[in-house]
Amino acid sequence: MLAMTTTTCTETHGEITVSTSRFGQLSVNPEKIITMTSPFLGFPDSKRFIVKPHGEESPFLWLQSLDDPKLAFVAIQAALLIPQYQPEIPGLTRQELQGSPEQPLEILLILTIPKENPEGMTANLLGPVAINSQKRLAKQVLQDPTRYDACWPVFTMDQTE
Amino acid sequence: MLILARKPGEAIAIGDGIKIRVLEIKGGQVKIGVEAPAEVMVHREEIYLRIVEENTRAAAEAPADLSSLASVFGGDKARSKPSPKSGK
Repeated sequence: MLAMTTTTCTETHGEITVSTSRFGQLSVNPEKIITMTSPFLGFPDSKRFIVKPHGEESPFLWLQSLDDPKLAFVAIQAALLIPQYQPEIPGLTRQELQGSPEQPLEILLILTIPKENPEGMTANLLGPVAINSQKRLAKQVLQDPTRYDACWPVFTMDQTE
Repeated sequence: MLILARKPGEAIAIGDGIKIRVLEIKGGQVKIGVEAPAEVMVHREEIYLRIVEENTRAAAEAPADLSSLASVFGGDKARSKPSPKSGK
């Protein structure tokens, strides 16, 4: 599994080094690597990611692929953005993520941030990312399109609806 | 595209472990049963395409860095007013 990355073991931590287009060479603790049980639709070759916080004052997270240096998603914890969001996680999916029925899963939302208009950023509520943090397994769990929007505006200036 | 004709009750085997079965044909609609391992995602095509589209957009638009977002959130969290919207 490590064959696809450039591995450099440091003496103390056993960390591996991966190339990324946005962050250059990243030193990664193998115990932090999250594996997709099914890959993101559209990106079948990227199975491994790390979650890299943007910064202390920032709610944003990077989901950086370890298999494709150019691939990274901007994400945010669903609980921070929409506390009332309750995506459906089928029992079979929980099994796939090796989580028990009561075990809480971390839910991240992928953000689409238009280049010229960051305030027009949208969150994908149709395909949230469920993560079993203990087992470091994740999957994008598709929701009912009549309930949830793939392009949910993060900022609502006026409540027009 | 491989084209096979099936009657209700008959199935198609894909690879090892995937089966598509025609369950019922009624009112111009075909009810289809799919057996597949959990890690194989099975979805209505239009949802699949929607997610591929949005994942691809999100990945393409992901900036080189998030410094442009500093002004957007800016420490004034009141600007983000998530409203409980649902549906399209």
